[in-house]
Amino acid sequence: MSIDVTGISKRYGDFVALEDINLTLPTGQLTALLGPSGGGKTTLLRIIAGLETPDSGSVVIEGTDATRLPVQKRNVGFVFQHYAAFKHMSVARNVAFGLEIRKTPRADIKRRVDELLALVHLSQFADRLPAQLSGGQRQRMALARALAVQPTVLLLDEPFGALDAKVRKELRDWLRRLHDEMHVTTVFVTHDQEEALEVSDEIVVVNDGRVEQVGSPDQLYDAPASDFVMRFLGDVTTLGGHAIRPHDIDVQVTPQVAGAAEGTVARVLRVGFEVRLTVHTLDGEEVLVQLTRTHARSLRLEEGATVWLSPAEGATVMPRAAALSGSS
Amino acid sequence: MTYVLRVVVVAYLFLLVAWPVSLVVTHTFAHGDEAIRAILEDPDMQSALRLTAIAAVVATVINTVFGVGVSLLLVRNEFPGKRVVSALLDLPLSVSPIVVGLALVLVYGGRNGWLGPSLESAGFQVIFSTPGIIMATAFVSLPLVIREVVPVLHELGTEQEQAAASLGASGAQTFWRITLPSIKWAVVYGVVLTLARSLGEFGAVKVVSGNVLGSTRTATLAVEEKYLNFDQEGAYAIAFLLASVSVLAILVVFVLRSREARHH
Amino acid sequence: MSVSEDVARRAPARRTATHDLTRTSGIGLGVTMIWFSLLVLVPLAAVVATAAAGGLGGFWSAISNEQTAAAIKLTVLSAFAVTVVNIVVGTTISWVLVRDGFPGKKLLELVIDIPFALPTIVAGLVLVSLYGNDSPLGLHVANTEYSVFLAFLFVTLPFVVRTVQPVLEQLDPEIEEAAASLGASRLTTFRRVVLPALVPAIAAGAALSFARAVGEYGSLVLLSGNLPFRSEVTSVRILAAIENDNRSSAAAIATLLLLISLAVIVLLDVVQRRVARRG
Repeated sequence: MSIDVTGISKRYGDFVALEDINLTLPTGQLTALLGPSGGGKTTLLRIIAGLETPDSGSVVIEGTDATRLPVQKRNVGFVFQHYAAFKHMSVARNVAFGLEIRKTPRADIKRRVDELLALVHLSQFADRLPAQLSGGQRQRMALARALAVQPTVLLLDEPFGALDAKVRKELRDWLRRLHDEMHVTTVFVTHDQEEALEVSDEIVVVNDGRVEQVGSPDQLYDAPASDFVMRFLGDVTTLGGHAIRPHDIDVQVTPQVAGAAEGTVARVLRVGFEVRLTVHTLDGEEVLVQLTRTHARSLRLEEGATVWLSPAEGATVMPRAAALSGSS
Repeated sequence: MTYVLRVVVVAYLFLLVAWPVSLVVTHTFAHGDEAIRAILEDPDMQSALRLTAIAAVVATVINTVFGVGVSLLLVRNEFPGKRVVSALLDLPLSVSPIVVGLALVLVYGGRNGWLGPSLESAGFQVIFSTPGIIMATAFVSLPLVIREVVPVLHELGTEQEQAAASLGASGAQTFWRITLPSIKWAVVYGVVLTLARSLGEFGAVKVVSGNVLGSTRTATLAVEEKYLNFDQEGAYAIAFLLASVSVLAILVVFVLRSREARHH
Repeated sequence: MSVSEDVARRAPARRTATHDLTRTSGIGLGVTMIWFSLLVLVPLAAVVATAAAGGLGGFWSAISNEQTAAAIKLTVLSAFAVTVVNIVVGTTISWVLVRDGFPGKKLLELVIDIPFALPTIVAGLVLVSLYGNDSPLGLHVANTEYSVFLAFLFVTLPFVVRTVQPVLEQLDPEIEEAAASLGASRLTTFRRVVLPALVPAIAAGAALSFARAVGEYGSLVLLSGNLPFRSEVTSVRILAAIENDNRSSAAAIATLLLLISLAVIVLLDVVQRRVARRG
């Protein structure tokens, strides 16, 4: 087991950042720490790295108790949200930094830096200063810098958070491919559920300083352990007093399924390939429904139409906690 | 309106600063470079200039090491009393140079200062001697490095330092390889301003030096003495030398700053 | 901006433990604080202690000496007048430097810093050459009470300019454009939108300017003639007391100077905070 976190707690004054976190992350796996900002996921990552000290608990990396080890001795690679590029050094010098600290022979440094720059497609920028790179390039440089020292684990703190949507998507795919090639144990923090679902082998949902659920992306999406996890991973609406995803609702223009809820289409909103309906049921619920534009067209849905709604087969449905009821 | 303000500002600065300063130059060279040469050849003046240079350089070195250290502590650490310390560090800018001199005499005076007599019996004279002049100089220019470095350290943040640590760099390695190169220009500005201020200190030095010809007389004290002894030309010549250094200092900072601004 | 403001402004919102010093930084803090105490704090404490040793009566008799009282009055009034001038002129200069563009503007930037870097004794000599007995302008300010005002004006020139300028540079011109689009005249925009944003910086600059003026000595030596009851400032009185080996009297006047500076700094700090809270 690569990273074992046991009983970690951390407070800042009265604010409880983490409370009794227990977690095991297997070697070679790509794990996402997912949750809302302020939920403690970055603190957890920084504790694993040794950039913060926990108030209690222990961190074991590859069988070595790292709890008391300073960050310098943990051999972790850390990638920061805002790149933390060494602004006064060229791209190559940035990547070489960790190797220079380890007194690696000069020829080896040069070879390794060349390899890594090729890996992150920055070979032609080796002599530039970080200020002359785009955000995406800077983050690839930061990644090469972290990988240069052959870390036991690679830790990334919201690595794509500061990038625009398109670059973000590219880098996401690229990180997945890189991981498949290198198999270094990787943990990355994100608040973007799509990013977590798309890239990771396993997702740890962290909220309010606690772990809400651990599982594969599909497990989390199909069987959320709590209302919070369900809401955090995607859109949620209410049908018949149950939480359900808007695209898990079957729409009929005639009553066909027993127990289907009858209602009137109050609003139709077309967004690209998708049609969003707002339906007011006879029970007084406001239900959101998502369907594809072709499906909606075939049903000839218009405002004012009467429809019958029922959960689709295999839909994720969850009894709603009273405290959390109401539209999302 | 803009035009009026521009004219008013230019006229004000011309009358208050530019014209008077330029007169020092014309007075100095009224008879060619004779006056300057006379000053540079006078052994008493040579020793005064040397003392000024030594005091300024030593005070600048002390204030630079102290200033960078204190700035790091203030920005990177939490400790009780931090607010008070940071407020007190600005104090030397608001204290009269004469009060600075008096304060040092009251503590380090050889006859009846708080610590002076014990230091003197240990063979270490402060007041009426070079250490006193250095202390007075260091006192008045104390906050200048800190005022330059603290905002830059804040702006720099800690991410680069954390990144260096995560790559295995020790505290000292991080300081020399990451932090210091990043605050380099702020330190340079601070050093240049400190040096300029130190070369020109007058009041505090006057109190602690005793103004002994050839041993504790600094260049600024010589300006006063020459002027009061009706050697106006000599006074202007030394003033010109001092003014050149200080104008050069702000010129250096000015050029470096605009070059740096272009880079960003 | 002062170091203390800078540090206070960015103090972390969430308080961690009372300190986070490592061993090295702890030793560093110890060494720097010992040096700072030996150089600055203990000597200044000695001034106050020596003044206090004379008792309230001694303190009062030192500062109520007729000649000293006249010097204090002249110093404080001139420093006050100069501060008022600096508030107006210094703000104007920084406005011109930031918002106006003309050839030679860079030179003005340079000229403003000269009084800061110029040795004070040289500053005095400089002013004598234009406003002394051989004045090419025919203005004989030297050896009059106005020489004090002039010298203060020279040495305090950079303070307000250099504190206001960066704030003005940071000020988003869009705010002014928004005010203008809502129908505000340029003057109204300046008074209601720009000025309130500048007040904290102006107050900080004014405080530095006043404190510097009150303690000024070097630039007056050659300019004012140090005429008792006419052009003699407080620093000169302290120096005279030191030279007469009257330490308690020197310490008493010095303590008064420190108190005046402190009062003005605190007063302007309050102004600054009040404005900052309202904004």
